[in-house]
Amino acid sequence: MIPLRIKVETNADRPYVVRLRSLEAEAWDSAPTLHPSEAALKHAGPDAADYAGEGGRLRVLGIDPSKVDGDVLLVNPSRGTADRLIRSSSQHNTFLVTERCDQVCLMCSQPPKKHHFDLFPYFETAALLAPEHATIGISGGEPTLFKTELFRFLQRVLEARPDISFHVLTNGQHFDEEDLNALSHIDLGRVVWGIPLYSSDAGVHDEIVGKEGAHAQLLRNLALMCRLGAQIELRTVLMRPNADGLPGLARVIGSTLPFIRTWAVMQMENIGFGRMNWKSLFFDSSEGFELVGRSIDFVRSRGIDAWLYNFPLCTVPPEYRHLAPATISDWKRAYRVECEGCSLKEACGGFFEWHPRDHGYSRLGAVQ
Amino acid sequence: MKKRLFAIPSLLAAGFLPINSQAYPAKPTFDGDLGKRKSLFDIFKLDHRYTLAGHSSHSSHSSHSSHRSSTGGYTYVPPAPAPLYSAPSTPAPSYQPPAPTYQESAPAPAPLKVLPGNAYKFKEIVQEVEFALMAFGYYTGEIDGEMSPELRSGLQRMQTDYGLKVTGTITPETLTALRIEAR
Repeated sequence: MIPLRIKVETNADRPYVVRLRSLEAEAWDSAPTLHPSEAALKHAGPDAADYAGEGGRLRVLGIDPSKVDGDVLLVNPSRGTADRLIRSSSQHNTFLVTERCDQVCLMCSQPPKKHHFDLFPYFETAALLAPEHATIGISGGEPTLFKTELFRFLQRVLEARPDISFHVLTNGQHFDEEDLNALSHIDLGRVVWGIPLYSSDAGVHDEIVGKEGAHAQLLRNLALMCRLGAQIELRTVLMRPNADGLPGLARVIGSTLPFIRTWAVMQMENIGFGRMNWKSLFFDSSEGFELVGRSIDFVRSRGIDAWLYNFPLCTVPPEYRHLAPATISDWKRAYRVECEGCSLKEACGGFFEWHPRDHGYSRLGAVQ
Repeated sequence: MKKRLFAIPSLLAAGFLPINSQAYPAKPTFDGDLGKRKSLFDIFKLDHRYTLAGHSSHSSHSSHSSHRSSTGGYTYVPPAPAPLYSAPSTPAPSYQPPAPTYQESAPAPAPLKVLPGNAYKFKEIVQEVEFALMAFGYYTGEIDGEMSPELRSGLQRMQTDYGLKVTGTITPETLTALRIEAR
């Protein structure tokens, strides 16, 4: 697994954001001037590397500088750690803006916590230091619980960096007429809002998200987002409670939500509540793919993009594999013994690192 | 103004938006000053270039990067023992709350250099360095283009022996000494 947190030593006394520059293997005259938020590699040994910049000295332990070149770190001096807010070599950088949430989804992979620290100032600095054309994920918890800060953050970064785009995961519960003004200042062409909708049946949806009235609120807010021209990626985690209703949901999407940009049918992640409730929730799509296929066929026939996220390719019939991109983030992706010698491995997202050994899929194995 | 209002009824006539649609926009324009606001046409003709942003190698999968599970990542504690993470039982918050007087929130973006993607070039040079150090007896590992602890200490020993500045990094001086040209 790719480490997201690394050990450091620093003489700073408060947290700060820094971009690491190795400047190795470069020609004589190319020594660039450093940005105030950058630190340059001065010395590298087998176990530790020393950086210096305006923010002070920084020693990075246990990882080679070539692996973190261009990374943006949030250094936490008192704990002797740094979080790799942005890994320059990755397409999967996500800022976790809060761990609070107002929904308690049955399969939540990151169960909510009460505490919250406002890290937006750090995120803003980090985003400005991101590599060119980066897409940055915003996740939680529920990011829009802090929508004032979030909208301001998006507006400022999108203005300062015309090459960057965002993908915001939100439950869509907190948008409001009063936000129209703030949202109209954000370049919505570069923000995709990933919003979960589990069923066309309000009862089923509300039960899954653990909040009464959530379904009705969500539909109201989707209409609001439509008026703004926001790009919406509807996300439906496939589970036993909502699997039978999937074709019905597809019809509702095709008929009343045609403005969405993408519909994503997703397999479960075996972590957090998802792990706790795995036995009662996991839907074996390798056996019951027919209703999944029928549902995405319908939505695609209406001119809306539909995709399969987190589906191992061997569990998907060949004619649907092109709709199942490798969506599992690099740092939590793993392959199984069964994947040995599989001809599709390159194109496959594999499994979540923590996918259980008795994986739940009845059909699985290397494709020759 | 008439033209603007025309777009939606024609979509309706074409059957794209059913009349009883729950999400059908109730008003064709925003509340407020119509003159200053964008029309729906303007809104929907936005250049939605998210699809291909940063995806030269995966342009056929618009959803590739857009997938994120809600496990945000860095405060997440994995189930498997991973030494670099904090232990699962540690209740302590991941961060000190930032100092309340945070003033330098946005750095002056002026000298910000967007970093080039030169990973491939870097790897090639590392391979050449590995090969050269091997020839001089400072390295016995793989010629794989990866910086490793062994290569770092090999560089340090070579730099010491040849009276170069000892950094353990691939400095221009080191490249010159090894007759490797960086470009």
